[in-house]
Amino acid sequence: MNAVVQLAILETKMFFRDRLSVFWTFLFPVVMIWLFGSMFVGNEMNGLTFAEQFVPSWIGVNIVTTSFFTLGTVLASYRETGVLRRYQSTPLQPWKILVAHTVQGTVIFIFSAILLMIFGMWMYGLSLPDYIGSTLLALLISILAFFPFALFLTSLAKNTQAAAAISSLFLNVMLFLSGATFPIAFMPEVLQFVAKLLPLYYVINLLRGTWNEAPISSYGVEVGILLGISVVSILLASRFFRWSGK
Amino acid sequence: MELVIKAENVSKKYGSEFAVKNLSFTVKKGEIFGIIGPNGAGKTTTLEMLEGILKPNSGTIDVLGYVPTKQLRTLNKRIGVQFQSTSIQKKMKVREALQLFASFYDGPSQKDHLIDLLGLHEKLNVNFEDLSGGWKQRVTLALATLHQPEILFLDEPSMGLDPHARREMWSLIERLRKQGCTIVITTHYMEEAEKLCDRVAMIYHGELKALDTPQQLLNRSVSKNLTFESHQLKRKDLETVPGVIRVEESDGLFHVFCKNQQETAYHIFRICHEREISLSNFYFEKGTLDDLFIHYLEEEVVQ
Repeated sequence: MNAVVQLAILETKMFFRDRLSVFWTFLFPVVMIWLFGSMFVGNEMNGLTFAEQFVPSWIGVNIVTTSFFTLGTVLASYRETGVLRRYQSTPLQPWKILVAHTVQGTVIFIFSAILLMIFGMWMYGLSLPDYIGSTLLALLISILAFFPFALFLTSLAKNTQAAAAISSLFLNVMLFLSGATFPIAFMPEVLQFVAKLLPLYYVINLLRGTWNEAPISSYGVEVGILLGISVVSILLASRFFRWSGK
Repeated sequence: MELVIKAENVSKKYGSEFAVKNLSFTVKKGEIFGIIGPNGAGKTTTLEMLEGILKPNSGTIDVLGYVPTKQLRTLNKRIGVQFQSTSIQKKMKVREALQLFASFYDGPSQKDHLIDLLGLHEKLNVNFEDLSGGWKQRVTLALATLHQPEILFLDEPSMGLDPHARREMWSLIERLRKQGCTIVITTHYMEEAEKLCDRVAMIYHGELKALDTPQQLLNRSVSKNLTFESHQLKRKDLETVPGVIRVEESDGLFHVFCKNQQETAYHIFRICHEREISLSNFYFEKGTLDDLFIHYLEEEVVQ
């Protein structure tokens, strides 16, 4: 167990040593909220204020960026540069590596979520989630679905560039089509259907819902789908874990 | 003598190409065993099969009584590995790397001892990416030996090091052996094999060409030569002398490789006497592993 704790702590420290990833993870979402805020603030949609809509959805988007970039792409680079290969010749088991990185990702995500929430409260008068226990549970389920999902998808990449390309593709598609930035209701029917194929759509429904409207028990479909993705991805990610690109 | 590694008829194919072909050898406890050969000869492939990272297509490997690919985790507790081209995390400090790797093993670690031995004190707070090549090698050597492994595998440990750093690396490896560690090392520096290894396996195109102590390998005829200076002799005069295998010449300095040094020397002296050609600094040379290495390499090209 000691190895998992050590690895998680070290990886978290190293994340903060890399200024670029700190910018993309922490400041970029804040800047985006601020930009969208300058356009949309004051326009209520479905009875929700700007911050009630956008802060929970950008917290959802941050789960995607953390899982694909902080976890997936980094592990792909470790695979390419031989960091994982080095681990292979120690008694460290693969699941410990995956757990340690998941813990690290969770810690970083929690920081970014708190930062976004505080920014929303300070700039746009956002209030704490109405069903705070439900929101926390929803976050946990979303993390459990997305982290292994991204770890599996990026492990298919041959190198770091390919992993980054996969990650950017998923992030951009989900950013625009899952209702995080543009309301789904404004989209043509085909795209509305596509949105429902994207896991982020369910994360955003769950987060917005528990933040503003109802406890998690009213979102059985979302919870079910996300748990399903989670189980399948965990199985795939551990079954197809690779130490090196060869 | 107790054997810690036994490899029998081991082959490894990549596609239809043999990377390693029918290799058999044993390694004794406590020795420094060198695997040498040109780039692409199959040294790293051989090493990685012993480490259990690669699975041989045929043949059997026994390391400390284990089948490496099947009992990898158990084996990993007892061996240490320094890879040729792997890196640890760029932004990890030396101190952190030592702590992290120590946490992978159950027993006590010799971290503090290694920091002293390798002189790592001054670098403990430096990020791995900011270290020079020599220091990186020291750190990865430390990571491989934290748990006092019974066998240490080193893949080209002195690659890219300057001559001074290379000598320091050798003395470190010697010290590790004195602690009771068996060491398997690959290299393409013949000097390294000559000075450091108890026995050397020469591999070309995945096949074992020679396996012996460096001294015995040097006693082989192919590396024996006659060295002398002459500004009148031509290379072609020497190539027809009985017993000559190969002639190297640069700026009047000749190396004549031959089967029987005494006989060939006699013929050279005779020719020079007849033609009144002067020779100077004539001596019998045993040759180096470098010569043997080149000999096998040229044999390869001829085939």
